[in-house]
Amino acid sequence: MRTLLALAGLLASEPYGIQFINVARDAGFVHAFPNGGHAGKKYIIETTGSGVAWIDYDNDGFLDAFIVSGDGASNRLYRNDGKGRFRDVTREAGLERSGWGKGVCAGDYDNDGFTDLFVTYWGQNALYRNIEGKRFEDVTAKAGLTQDRVRYNTGCAFLDYDNDGHLDLFVSNYLKFDFNTTPKPGENPYCYYMKIPVNCGPRGLPFDRNILYRSNGDGTFTDVSEAAGVTRAEDSYSLGVLTGDFNGDGLIDIFVASDQTPSLLFVNKGDGTFEEDALLRGVAFDQDGKATSGMGVAAGDYDNDGHIDIFRANFSDERQTLYRNRGEGEFDDATVAAGLSHNMSYVGWGCGFADFDNDGWEDLLLVNGHVFPEIDSLNIHIRYQQRAIFYHNGGNGKLEDISESAGPAILEKHAARGAAFGDYDNDGVLEALVNNQNETPSLFKLARKPPGNWLLLKLEGVKANRSAIGAIVRLTGGGLTQTRVVRSGGSYLSQSDLRLHFGLGAADRADRIEIVWPGGNRQVEENIAANRIVTIRERTPPSPRR
Amino acid sequence: MPALTLRCFAVLLGCAAMGAAQDPAHGIALFHKGEYAQAKAALEKAPAGEHQRVFLALSRAALGECKTVADDLGALFQKTSDADLRRLSGIAAVQCYVNLSRFDDALPVALRLKQLYPADADVLYQSARALMRSWNDVVFQMFQKTPASFRVNQLSAEIFEIQGRYGEAIQEYGKAIEKNPRALNLHFRLGRAVLMNSHAPEALEAARKEFEAELALNPGDAVAEYQVALILQAQQKGPEATARLERAVALNPEFPEALQGLAKARMEAKRPEEAIRLLEQVVRLQPSSESAHYALMVAYRNAGRREDAARQKATLDKLRKPPEGEFTEFLKRIGEKPPGSENK
Repeated sequence: MRTLLALAGLLASEPYGIQFINVARDAGFVHAFPNGGHAGKKYIIETTGSGVAWIDYDNDGFLDAFIVSGDGASNRLYRNDGKGRFRDVTREAGLERSGWGKGVCAGDYDNDGFTDLFVTYWGQNALYRNIEGKRFEDVTAKAGLTQDRVRYNTGCAFLDYDNDGHLDLFVSNYLKFDFNTTPKPGENPYCYYMKIPVNCGPRGLPFDRNILYRSNGDGTFTDVSEAAGVTRAEDSYSLGVLTGDFNGDGLIDIFVASDQTPSLLFVNKGDGTFEEDALLRGVAFDQDGKATSGMGVAAGDYDNDGHIDIFRANFSDERQTLYRNRGEGEFDDATVAAGLSHNMSYVGWGCGFADFDNDGWEDLLLVNGHVFPEIDSLNIHIRYQQRAIFYHNGGNGKLEDISESAGPAILEKHAARGAAFGDYDNDGVLEALVNNQNETPSLFKLARKPPGNWLLLKLEGVKANRSAIGAIVRLTGGGLTQTRVVRSGGSYLSQSDLRLHFGLGAADRADRIEIVWPGGNRQVEENIAANRIVTIRERTPPSPRR
Repeated sequence: MPALTLRCFAVLLGCAAMGAAQDPAHGIALFHKGEYAQAKAALEKAPAGEHQRVFLALSRAALGECKTVADDLGALFQKTSDADLRRLSGIAAVQCYVNLSRFDDALPVALRLKQLYPADADVLYQSARALMRSWNDVVFQMFQKTPASFRVNQLSAEIFEIQGRYGEAIQEYGKAIEKNPRALNLHFRLGRAVLMNSHAPEALEAARKEFEAELALNPGDAVAEYQVALILQAQQKGPEATARLERAVALNPEFPEALQGLAKARMEAKRPEEAIRLLEQVVRLQPSSESAHYALMVAYRNAGRREDAARQKATLDKLRKPPEGEFTEFLKRIGEKPPGSENK
């Protein structure tokens, strides 16, 4: 009876007026991050931007922020003082580095209890080992991750694909790019957009391959791309990476959003190899069977049916794509049915499913910005700097676009790229940090706390990897069962809070929380009171390695 | 005929003419040197023959006598059996006719030339030039003689559309409709331009009104019905959209896009067998449509017909495979080190 009443409470609650404001400057994000030209971009490398990360590097319980920079400035780490302010601690943390930074992902790869960072570059990637929450050490070479040539690395994600308790690493590669050989705007037919000369590509530029590094369990990695079968998908301009057990077989799969080429779904076969099966599983194309310009990717169970769905952000004149998981990792294109078919003027990047209003249904936030500043000269409906899009989940299978009324932060126009989601002030309400090209970042925060209750779960693996990356949580409360996954990477080249946020609506507790740890260990917690952060440690005898 | 054009003309013909002239060799040699007056004199004295007649006409054309030799060149093009001479006389005839603004004579020769020599750059250039000049001439005539006609606005709108200037196209279509509200296809084209100009919700509604207006004039327009259905889908009006798709298919039972749209609606309505029947029809109508094979593959998969789905996937893979030696194969290798020299 209590469940029914709580459900009635959820459904009957007054509509909450979502109003996002941008509090970046007040929070201390005052540095602009360069990323190629602002009025014009000569090379494709200037267009693909960079990611952001929320990580609690010092284990003080508050999310810190890491922002990746394009060429011309250093990436920056900002420490959260717990009072809503962030201080730049890049130098003391040992994270100063400039260059064409692209993506970032986080995970405790050495299981020492401190979250480590991996940053991708056009150039050499960097693995930063977190030294007891005080500083980071660049261990790229020591870990065997130095690459033998310049690569255009983009998305990344830590994952434990072989369930051995040690985090492996997937890195997507966009294409082969060289300043000396890449044609200039207008130099060939691939260097025009709407008849104006623009930077060339990706079409016309050579493909590169994605990379899977397997952890050796001793802090080093081995490139197993060939043996694992990920190099077989060779004709792909790969960007955003999303990991998850999409077919429910207990093994982590890898989805890659590809630009102008079919997106990829590497299905984990459980024997150390993957099979690329995006086409038959329905996630390679849009509903018309055409490859889109996929950039950002998000996963969430937007219809609360227990299966993880996928959202892919695409280019202007294309629909964004929502793939509804039918179960067992087969997807239907639900873009039109869910109401996402009309926003075709935007080029989408950072995106995430997140229950901003704590009503038990994950909403969808997408940040945008075109790749060609030159497009403004055409004076058409498509512009370089673009506003964000906020879809509110009504719980009826529809994602309603309420952007125009969702507050000034949504309406601000930027050339946005990476976006990460997390609760930086631990008030139970999610925020989003956005990396804007050549501008200061945006920090989307709700102006008023939503009425719904919430829970924030921090998972700690014991037999499983310590970050619990790959863990699946099903929370039942208020008559709903919600599903979340602890995930490294995602969105557009970004890292969101590793903790899992659940909106509970009027329910004052979670009746049941089921956790499936990587490796298959199941754990159930019951009757968990709402509105708090709960740490759940994997219940299993500690393994000898700890 | 201006001398500059003639020189280009002589250069254009020069290579192909080499070796073709055997009999009136002296005159032809003079023609190749650009000494057209001497060539003309020599060829007039040479024994009559196909080469003599063609090169004499070419020399006279080069001397600015297009008015008198254009028809001779046209006739030589029709009559001569030698492929090289035929090509030369045809190209020269087209050029003369175009320069004389005799487009009605130039176009049949140009089109025939294009059929005979489909991969010949000179032929294609002269054909394109003839068509362009002829088009310009007709448009000029239209603007000069019927400036107040709605057709002028319609044509302007279509040109703006081609140029991607949709805002201006919308304005011109609007003017055309104002002048002739009952003309067919104007509302349809306007609706399409509105959609090309913007995807905002208000644009969808404005475009829909135009398609509906087209249907009011021509209730049998299946394509306008289909466009309305797509807009209704985007507006989240599923049942109404399905009804319009059904109507589009009733109007044209072999309209692949509408059949495919209806199949998608049937899938969403959990009527997979109907969807499959419709998609199988689309595949029959358009056997090389990737979109149709993709939709059928998904429909089979969802209906549990795994083997049929796999077959569709195989067809799709084949259709999507780039032709042998495609550019990307070359591109893939750029920047790669020789095999074995790097850890791939």
